[in-house]
Amino acid sequence: MEVIQLENVTKIYKLGEVETRALDDVTLNIKEGEFTTLVGPSGSGKTTMLQMMGCLDKPNSGVVKINGQDVIRLNANKRADMRRDMIGFIFQFFALVPVLTAYENVELPLLLKGVEKKERHERTMEMLNAVGLSDRVHHRPDQLSGGQQQRVAIARALAPEPSLVLADEPTANLDTASGKQAMEVMQKLNEKTETAFIFATHDPRIVAYAKRVVKMQDGRLVND
Amino acid sequence: MLSKLLTIAYRDLIRNRRRSVFTLIAVAIGLALIITMNGLIEGALEGAMRNNIRLKTGHAQVRAESYPDGKLSLKWQDLIDNADELSAQVNGMSEVKAAAPVLWATGILYTIDETVGLQVYGIETTSPIYDPIREAMVTGDFITDDDRSGILIGKRLAEQLGVGVEQKVSLSVGTADGPPDEGIFTIRGIFSTGNLFYDEHTIFLPLSKAQAFTHTSGRASSIMIMLHQQDDADKVAATLKSPGLATFTWEDLNQLLLTTIQQGMAFYVIMYAIVIMVVAVVIVNTLLMSVFERVREMGILAALGMKGRQIMTMVLMESVILGLAGVVIGIILGSAYVVYLSKTGIYIGEVSASVDVGYGTVMYARWVLANVLSLSGWTFAIILLGSLYPAWFAARLAPVEALHNL
Repeated sequence: MEVIQLENVTKIYKLGEVETRALDDVTLNIKEGEFTTLVGPSGSGKTTMLQMMGCLDKPNSGVVKINGQDVIRLNANKRADMRRDMIGFIFQFFALVPVLTAYENVELPLLLKGVEKKERHERTMEMLNAVGLSDRVHHRPDQLSGGQQQRVAIARALAPEPSLVLADEPTANLDTASGKQAMEVMQKLNEKTETAFIFATHDPRIVAYAKRVVKMQDGRLVND
Repeated sequence: MLSKLLTIAYRDLIRNRRRSVFTLIAVAIGLALIITMNGLIEGALEGAMRNNIRLKTGHAQVRAESYPDGKLSLKWQDLIDNADELSAQVNGMSEVKAAAPVLWATGILYTIDETVGLQVYGIETTSPIYDPIREAMVTGDFITDDDRSGILIGKRLAEQLGVGVEQKVSLSVGTADGPPDEGIFTIRGIFSTGNLFYDEHTIFLPLSKAQAFTHTSGRASSIMIMLHQQDDADKVAATLKSPGLATFTWEDLNQLLLTTIQQGMAFYVIMYAIVIMVVAVVIVNTLLMSVFERVREMGILAALGMKGRQIMTMVLMESVILGLAGVVIGIILGSAYVVYLSKTGIYIGEVSASVDVGYGTVMYARWVLANVLSLSGWTFAIILLGSLYPAWFAARLAPVEALHNL
């Protein structure tokens, strides 16, 4: 079953008189449990594509469906609900809430989702265990290494059991060992769950983990 | 969820400890300042009113209906004929603490070197109405009803004229017939009420002597009434109203001061509003800086599915924490200072000598719970109102723009 469907999606950015076609009539379907990488040079539209899939932005034309539901016409609150219930994000710069501990960061999406306290605690600890950080639960982001922060971000993205995890250059700021560890964690979680992973990356090491590679250039898909 | 938003808000404030502390201090000092201002104003006005009532107007008065407003008249038709009888009747009322006839006249006091215009009070010397003057005696003795040449003068007047107890002065007073009469009087005692204007412009002599001197033949300008309860003034005035007589309450008699208070209050409200606005601007500025610095954080929260209203609530919670803490500290600081000033007062000295509004030489503050609560409530409400903008700004950040740098 398709988790996400992009049909003839076009996104144009205007900077003064200059128009940039970040996505140009893109059609792409991602199925449950896929481990996909979007590759391509800078400016090829990878991040824009993730933003469309993640309900963070709307295209100028085309259709974006998540689990069969057209998300473009949803209002801001419904799109927030969609992000909360269906999508996990992993960003290049870890993007943890700086004033919350590792535990609280992972717990936050569960709180937003209204998960009961006991279940929330079990799920949070389960995810921190899964990423190997059960001994760092009370550490704040500034007390963790980059690799550890990214693993917290992975745990947070997966805690609410989303249908889809979108990762934008997740290893770009990690050393080789940390990047490998993060990818292995994600690969394991992908194998254990039905969650689909989509990575935007330049990193050939990530591509090696992918079951599917989608190449982009100038806002178009050039190879799938 | 609300408790987590509160946690984030609280920790964000702690993260920027110095900025939060400065903002908190601004709120606390701003509120303490307006509580102090209010305490001083309340104290000054209440003190002025109390002084006016005890020294000049009493709680109520009965006068002849024709007695002119704002002038001193000695014409027989403007005076009360049966002053003693009426006074006895008023004294019989259960609400009345004391009542006594008084005769007012304008006079001029002469010494070799000086001439001073003043108001002459012919008084029943034994009446408790004049206890405040009795208590304010600094030298000499209080006058008695059978004293045919004794007067009391204020300390400031005595100093100005360079005279003392048992010295003689020449007093010229208007009469019912028209031309003033002049006599030599002996200063029996000197009083100091603390109200410099009053002490400089008032002299007392026994009522019978004043009546004889002004040719008013047993008549009085007014029956001065002091009550057990100030609130009974309307009731007593209504009871005493009869044909040919006009009755006045302390509010009627202090209309000028009350109007001044009301007009002054409007001015002070503007002052309070300015201080509160400044405090609100400080908080808004702090929150805006906080929001600008945390645009990415807002983006992360939005990406996790936090709704605009939840982000707004989170920012408002920062404002609530800062505002509440600042208001509590402000109440404590302001109230402590007002209580201190209510005991020690502020010396204003000569300021009170220039105006006849009842201020003493020392201005005491007065702590009024309702005012403190009202000012604190307004401060908190304006802070919250001002915080709506940064909160709204944070809530409307588009996630994609907020996450731009990630």
